[in-house]
Amino acid sequence: MGKENPAAEKASNLLRSRLCDPNFVVKHLSDSPDSNYSSVTEACNNSILLLGPRGSGKIAVLELILTDLLLEYPDTISVIKLNGLLHSDDCCAFKEIARQLCMEHQLLFSKMASFDDNSQFMIEMLRECGLAHKTIIFVLDEFDLFAQGKQRLLYSLLDAMQSVTSQAVVIGVSCRLDADQLLEKRVRSRFSHRKLLFLPPSKEDMQRLLEHILSLPVDSSLPHAYAVEFNKKIKNILADGRFKEIVNTLVNLDSTVNHLLRFLFLAVSYMDLESGFLSFENFKTALSNSHRQPKLECIKDCSILELYILVCMKRLEVKEQNSYNFNSVMKEYKSIHDSFQTSDYYSRNVCLRAFEHLLQRELICFTDNRGYSQSVEFRPVKLLISSIELHQGLKSYCSCPVILLKLVER
Amino acid sequence: MAREKEESMQVSRRATRSSTFSANNNGIELGKPNDSYIPTLGDLVFGQEPISLDDLLSRFPGRRVQILELLRLLGTLNSSMPPLFVYGSASTGKTSIIIQVFRHLSRPFVYTSCLSCYSPRILFESILNQLLLHKKNAFNGYSSAKRCEKPSDFVIFVREALINVIDSLKENAEKTSTSKLKGQVNGKMIYLIFDNFELVREWDKSSSILPFLFGLSDILKMPEVGMIFISSTSPDTYHSNTGYVAPIHVYFPECTEDDLRQIFMRNQANQKLYSSFLDIVLRPFCRITKRVDELSTAFSLLFKRYCEPLSDLGVLPNGEMKRRLFSHLQPHIAPSLNEIFRVASQPCLECGVNQETRRKGGARKSVGSGDLDDIGFHMSTSAKYLLVSAFLASRNPATLDASLFDTTGVSDSRKRKRKASEKSLEQKEAAEQELLMKGPGTFSLERLLAIFQCITSVGEEEEGNDGLRVDEGSNALMSDILLQLTSLCNSNFIVKGGSCPLEGSTRYRSTLSEDLAIKVARSIKFPLSKYLYRR
Repeated sequence: MGKENPAAEKASNLLRSRLCDPNFVVKHLSDSPDSNYSSVTEACNNSILLLGPRGSGKIAVLELILTDLLLEYPDTISVIKLNGLLHSDDCCAFKEIARQLCMEHQLLFSKMASFDDNSQFMIEMLRECGLAHKTIIFVLDEFDLFAQGKQRLLYSLLDAMQSVTSQAVVIGVSCRLDADQLLEKRVRSRFSHRKLLFLPPSKEDMQRLLEHILSLPVDSSLPHAYAVEFNKKIKNILADGRFKEIVNTLVNLDSTVNHLLRFLFLAVSYMDLESGFLSFENFKTALSNSHRQPKLECIKDCSILELYILVCMKRLEVKEQNSYNFNSVMKEYKSIHDSFQTSDYYSRNVCLRAFEHLLQRELICFTDNRGYSQSVEFRPVKLLISSIELHQGLKSYCSCPVILLKLVER
Repeated sequence: MAREKEESMQVSRRATRSSTFSANNNGIELGKPNDSYIPTLGDLVFGQEPISLDDLLSRFPGRRVQILELLRLLGTLNSSMPPLFVYGSASTGKTSIIIQVFRHLSRPFVYTSCLSCYSPRILFESILNQLLLHKKNAFNGYSSAKRCEKPSDFVIFVREALINVIDSLKENAEKTSTSKLKGQVNGKMIYLIFDNFELVREWDKSSSILPFLFGLSDILKMPEVGMIFISSTSPDTYHSNTGYVAPIHVYFPECTEDDLRQIFMRNQANQKLYSSFLDIVLRPFCRITKRVDELSTAFSLLFKRYCEPLSDLGVLPNGEMKRRLFSHLQPHIAPSLNEIFRVASQPCLECGVNQETRRKGGARKSVGSGDLDDIGFHMSTSAKYLLVSAFLASRNPATLDASLFDTTGVSDSRKRKRKASEKSLEQKEAAEQELLMKGPGTFSLERLLAIFQCITSVGEEEEGNDGLRVDEGSNALMSDILLQLTSLCNSNFIVKGGSCPLEGSTRYRSTLSEDLAIKVARSIKFPLSKYLYRR
């Protein structure tokens, strides 16, 4: 479509890959927690929790530090990574630890090893590594999921760290700020209560980050003049007051770095590949796309009969009927038709099908859970949208019958 | 896709061991792997000719914005992408557009539908089978390549498989040409598509599987893998305590009237004729539903009726002809609106035509009552009696049975009509309301059989001796009745309610609507209204 600008394509690819790679972002922003360094160099046992809302870059920072450490002390560190989504079951977790240890030290891993074998193995490895002055770093992602159930894994890990011969660091990462409250008493007593909170970046940091991400490198394979021109345009956009407003709106909604990155990705995908430059309009379109209201969109998708059913249900709620089902909605529908002589009066089967469409769209739902012994017409239902949303939806619906608006407003 | 072609090349292995050792015909030799088809990387691409962008846009009228948005987000070759979440109501074209977009781009993808892969294990194994280019055939006993139940195993296996696939894609990319060949694989990225994703919420372990699938791209940390989720419900219906990794949302709105017009005009032989037809019917039908699949069945029937007065279907209508056709179609539009969701089976269509000719002669009945004699399904007489007795059992309170089914006479007509006081009117209304809300009542098996016996004896008396012979061989008949009851339960005419708290026996409930019960009763000439309890 149109002539292709290979430089623009390369630039857009570069930007997109940067935006999808959290390490690039974090390198710029990082403030390294020195605690990790100290535990390695001084060979003491330590545990720490990294907490922060989802998308604030905790794992990315951790990866960064681990790669640095591995470069600095290549032989004395081994890293074991566990994820709460995958390994919250204790058997699974020990098997995974054993597997990773075996991979690290080129030992044979047997899939048939039992839970006891695996845990014995881990304790012995810890002792051996401690005697050899090697540190094992355990990274537990989604830490709150490990704290469900009996917490056997956490207890054995933290317990093994209490002995003098082992050198281990346990780093827990979680998006629940109260993750340490979930620990059992005996586990919590062995935990060192160090927490690192990941706060959202400040405005100046945000500005610098934006510039860092969006500026093309001048001395790379891209044509020099193009890159310089691109960077100049970016600087102009970033300095614009309207752009600062957009960023403020974004940050007010969700101040994590990930949210910003998704927004930037949308903007870069709108980049005009013919001219090869980002413009302010790209950012505006990206903002409107990332702030959607799904329920309003749902209402706009409904047909007029479905809107009638929604309005009937709303009226039943206003009349304070505690529970109502399809038959009562039909009664209300008939009464509306009788009093206002609308042209939209359809038979019961048609209305039942429209009712089922609404159930599929999840604008209404059944209130009973067991309900398979009753047919659809008798099960109690309720609305899943508020009256404000319904009102707004009707107002923005093109060619909405006037009668519906009148009925909702009363 | 490529898979169907490959299946047709295999020969069924019905032959016995001794007869398959002939190398001349296509028999498969035991002990050798199936060598008629070796799966290659090209299997991962859509198997047919790639299409151009204009072709893609013209196949989906009215979806230009969404197609362009998808193309922009997928980006040029080898550009990375965060997970995409495509949502929109049913039958808006999400799946077909995404598959055709991948056909246009000729990029490899792995498609799984959470409708056919209804548990985590089947989902994981299906993805692994496709990535490992493993076909389930008779040789390997229709088993998957790897047995995988837990997410932890899946991550390990899928990482290996993806690394292999990406390596072979890289090799393939180095020796590729620029012409668009069939089976050509572009790029070094592979995409995982999860369709019908809203069904994952209903799975047993959905609270751990959903965040796992949403966060799969973060767990794998492979930039060459792109993920696309297709769902028919919006993203705010996916609830979680601790939130998900946020994908990028792409929204598919319902078609507007103009879009629908364009869609229906495609592939029509006579464009002008169909366009004049759409002018009449599109607007009223769009008030009920905008889904293409539902409208198309309604329109196809109506169009046949619209074209009835025309002798030549290729004619271009002028103003006068349009008016004539409109007046012919007009009386059928309103009833057809009320039957819009009904798909008539073939015999009904034919007898519909016959009924048409019958109806024209007689008095003008409404179309709804034209179906009076036609319930639309076949049932034996005893099953119909059973249905009617179930309906009566659910509808009437048990205490009335004795008086209603007393063979010495119908007592209803002897009820003295008292002037209804206000209190009794209120009570009546409350009782009606309760009937609306609670639904049909439950009955026990014994009561059903008792009513059945009474009704069939009534039927017999009225028809002389042509009705059911209940007294002869009544034991055999009773087991038949119980079988009938089971089949009625299976077809959901009668459902099992809860059990009675005192006795512990199961109770049943009839789900028949009053209209259908009246139709069934009329077909066996049973006076249903005499036995219905009117409050």
